[in-house]
Amino acid sequence: MSRLVAELPAPTTQNPVRAGRRRRSRQERLAYKILLPALGTVVVIVTIPFILAVVQSIQADDGTWVGLQNYARALSNPGFYDALRATGLYAVIVLPAEIVLGLGFALLVHRTVQSPGLRATLYILAVVPLVVPPVAVGVVARLIYAPGYGVLNVILERLGIIHQEIEWLSVPALAMFSVASVDIWQWTPFVYLVLFAGLQTVPKESVEAAQVDGATWWTQFVYIELHYLRPLFLLILFFRAADILRVFDHIFILTGGGPGTTTQLLSLYLYRVEFRFFQTGQGSALAVVVLVSISLLYTLVTRLLPLERT
Amino acid sequence: MQRISRREFVKRTAVTGAAFTSLPAILAACGTSTTSNKPSSLTIAAVQGAEDGPLKKIAPIYKSQTGITLNIDEFPYPDLYSKLVTTFQANGSSYDLCMMDDPWMPKFGTMGALQPLDSNFGFTRDSDIPAVVYDVGTWPPPSGPVPPSEQGKTKHLYGITIVGNVEMFMYRKDIASTPPASWDDVLANAKQYNKSNFYGYVIRGLATNPASSDSLPILWSFGGNVFDDNWKVMLDSTESIDAITFLTSRLKAYAEPGAASTDAADRDRLIAIGQAFQSTTWPAEVTGVVEATGSTVIGKMGYIPIPQGPSGKGIGMMGNWLLGIPKGSKNGSAAADFVKWLITPANMRTYVQNGGIPTRTSLLNDATLASTNPYFPALAKSLASPPNWRPRTDQWNAVETAYGTAVNQAVAGLKSPKDALTAAAATVRTLMQQAGYPS
Repeated sequence: MSRLVAELPAPTTQNPVRAGRRRRSRQERLAYKILLPALGTVVVIVTIPFILAVVQSIQADDGTWVGLQNYARALSNPGFYDALRATGLYAVIVLPAEIVLGLGFALLVHRTVQSPGLRATLYILAVVPLVVPPVAVGVVARLIYAPGYGVLNVILERLGIIHQEIEWLSVPALAMFSVASVDIWQWTPFVYLVLFAGLQTVPKESVEAAQVDGATWWTQFVYIELHYLRPLFLLILFFRAADILRVFDHIFILTGGGPGTTTQLLSLYLYRVEFRFFQTGQGSALAVVVLVSISLLYTLVTRLLPLERT
Repeated sequence: MQRISRREFVKRTAVTGAAFTSLPAILAACGTSTTSNKPSSLTIAAVQGAEDGPLKKIAPIYKSQTGITLNIDEFPYPDLYSKLVTTFQANGSSYDLCMMDDPWMPKFGTMGALQPLDSNFGFTRDSDIPAVVYDVGTWPPPSGPVPPSEQGKTKHLYGITIVGNVEMFMYRKDIASTPPASWDDVLANAKQYNKSNFYGYVIRGLATNPASSDSLPILWSFGGNVFDDNWKVMLDSTESIDAITFLTSRLKAYAEPGAASTDAADRDRLIAIGQAFQSTTWPAEVTGVVEATGSTVIGKMGYIPIPQGPSGKGIGMMGNWLLGIPKGSKNGSAAADFVKWLITPANMRTYVQNGGIPTRTSLLNDATLASTNPYFPALAKSLASPPNWRPRTDQWNAVETAYGTAVNQAVAGLKSPKDALTAAAATVRTLMQQAGYPS
């Protein structure tokens, strides 16, 4: 203790509060300078386009001010609600499926695979779907589900399971299942990788102690591992929900949004309004509505769901 | 080594960075001559695929004759449209020429995005090229309804067709020796030749543009329409409903499974592997798949104009690809010279020999060329009929989406043709009213 006291700097005559304030102020200035490029980038690629979108949403295509007319038109179009419904249904199918499957794989590998080599192999295999371009995924999926030559029907027929071709992309429920299955194939590995990484942070001592106390695999998961995974579920929900709003390529290739508008998700609908119909005012109004709604939804999710580690 | 302060370091880094980022712009500015009469190159915005393939092949010939390099910037079909619209909105000078699908002409015409070819560059009509080919590149449209904002404007030629696409009809001539003269014949043949794993008719019923393109010739041949001459929506007329009922219930009984998700590639595959009897088709599908290496039906297909419907007419649909000169182009004169060079009889023959689809009647009826392009005589007849173009409105993409979705719903059995078309008509009426049309 006496050594520690001896190592403390000698008190100066300068006012320590003022000196600290000066030091913090200089540090803050430096911090702002360091942050400036990142903040500038955010302003340029997020804030300014958003402001422009808001401005465009209250203008007609010729630039005249029309107030909230674009919002009224956009929100009175049944196509918007069809797209909203399709997106909701898509999310309800893919999010739970990806989380359950990803969690299942993560737990399975975490508990049963101990070989580092095999774990690395599984890691690489899991990364593969994530790096395949969505367009390529769509093309391959079309080869699986297409009428006439789809591989899935051929396999089912040869196995004697079906005797008549299933119209995977022409029947609404099956079309939604088909496009959702592609998403589940591509993004379950993401959930697996995140949760598997989370499981590595669980202290072995806690698990071993629980096992000594006779914890089953279920109680071990619920009372110990889930505790460490909760923040990651929030991360997964954020990322995947954002991705679902951007889903485009494979649906465009597989169904074009059909049959009817069954698989026309918000992204495809917005693309059509903005870049096919060039109704820029309505497109911007829709973009603002979607952005604000999603921001509110995210806020609600973070506030209401008990996902923070306690 | 001299130490520098942090502030000095930041300053020097910023100056160096700014210098480097400005360099390309400075060099580009030094290298560009905006006043030169003969540029060293012309840049063409083109659609990726069979449509621009021949253009790429004749580019070296043009360079050898004129010294001008043709830089062809390719875009997938959906991207090209949005790329051009945004370029035109900014009055950009990136492109000296642009390829345009003919339904885009109303949008570009209304925007005033193109340079008039007749008044600016002296283009005149050639009697060897059907009048409808020039008409489709003229704005405001010389016939049919004119958008309210365009009425009274002077007509000018803005685009020259370089891909003379018209939707036609194909059937297995090795199975049925007589071509179908009417849609009743088409139905009878579909019924007669339909058997297990061989479909009497192929419907291209994928939602939006495919379903719309496939069904519009039938709609017109039945006397139906999208709009009348005063922009009144006609999608829910008796004739229109009859046409779509014919397609989606009577013909569908002999069509392939999954018709609601069938696009052109699926249709061509079914025809090429010998699993279907007949369908509508476009020239690029014929050259690209049906009569291409690997097809089992080479020489077995007959090509005819769209069969007659109850209206007494068989009406094909134009899908011409045109070349236009953007207003922002700084090399308009040189670009016009290239278009003139391309459509001369001799050069168009070379273009056709490289896979191009001509518009010259003399080339379409040329026996030598027809031996390698068996659909040429049908295309000549289709162009002479004349075919219809899609309604000349800048709202067409939205209209087509509503109509193509309705047809897809009817093909999929989600709605009756009447219900689907009635709903589409209501959507289109609202849309057109919002856009200032008297629907």
